[in-house]
Amino acid sequence: MKHLLLKLEPIIWLLFGAGLSIGTMLLTGFVIVVGLAIPMGLVDPSALAYPRAHALASSWLGRLVVLGLIALPLWKGAHHIRSLSVDFNGGDRDGAVGGLLYLAAGICSVLGIIAVAQL
Amino acid sequence: MAESNRHMRVEILRFDPDKDEVPKSQEYEIPVEEDWKVLDAINYIKDEVDPSVSHRWSCRMAVCGSCGMMVNGEPKLTCKTSLADYEGSIKIEPLANFPIVRDLVVDMDGFMDKFRKVKPWIVRAKERAEDMENLNEKGTYSQSPAELATFKQFSMCINCLLCYAACPVIANEPDFIGPAAIALGHRYNLDSRDEGDRGRNEIFRGEGTAFSCSFANECSEVCPKNVDPAAAVNQAKLGAVVDWAKGLILPREGA
Repeated sequence: MKHLLLKLEPIIWLLFGAGLSIGTMLLTGFVIVVGLAIPMGLVDPSALAYPRAHALASSWLGRLVVLGLIALPLWKGAHHIRSLSVDFNGGDRDGAVGGLLYLAAGICSVLGIIAVAQL
Repeated sequence: MAESNRHMRVEILRFDPDKDEVPKSQEYEIPVEEDWKVLDAINYIKDEVDPSVSHRWSCRMAVCGSCGMMVNGEPKLTCKTSLADYEGSIKIEPLANFPIVRDLVVDMDGFMDKFRKVKPWIVRAKERAEDMENLNEKGTYSQSPAELATFKQFSMCINCLLCYAACPVIANEPDFIGPAAIALGHRYNLDSRDEGDRGRNEIFRGEGTAFSCSFANECSEVCPKNVDPAAAVNQAKLGAVVDWAKGLILPREGA
């Protein structure tokens, strides 16, 4: 198990990078639509009515996007917190903090897959 | 030179490996001119006050990269840093994250070893007939201005080591290959004449290289030549991961 995190670093970074991109692009769009456009009356609220939204989310592409929105930012957050902890505490890059964070992100990603499969 | 009215207290970290157990600081009160750089103040001390002060410098125009020091705790090229930006007193120390040889001089050997690891030269897969065709009459490979523009920024590094002094990862892990070395390797990966990117990507995927970077961006903040090593590191990460993913899908020649 020694150096496991260091060996997985490129894959972790890929998930982190994807989470960062999806976080900045899709979540920003989401906030603009739900937080600004609908309250300001620019978009008809019925566009996001439950049956319509459910139909969109439960299509194959929809499930994939929802899973990406759930799982990838978790990896982004885990990687950020691990990097901060290493930079500020002088911690071990291969240590338990990173392992636990990625384990949590992994478990929640699996839960996300289950949730999306049941849509 | 006209006598200046302005005086400044300059604190310099002193260390003589033959006499001192630990570095100690020494203060000098000197007259300064309005247009002086920090390096001028150190040179004045060396020439007029205390010839035992040791420091590195050469070109005085931000090209040679030898006068990097910590000025009030920040890595600076002292020939490019105006004294006028500081009030009353100033503290000069050798670059952080490096072993001190003497006073303000640091040991660069570890850094040079890191540089060699990224193969900072043009790698050709094999000598080919078309190589000879691409050679122009001067005996060099042709390259268009657009191809040059893809990496030119990353080739402007003057090896001043400021990015190593600023990097929080280097501070924790002295073996980390560091911003300038990754930027240099990435510069060759982007070079249209080079074919060594697979080898360098493998190096970048290894432990203690590109993926040890936590993207604090401090290297780009302190870089006096606007190389933006943090961007190079991030691009190198992406290149290394894409190369890894390609290796999973496509069979490799000679693999």
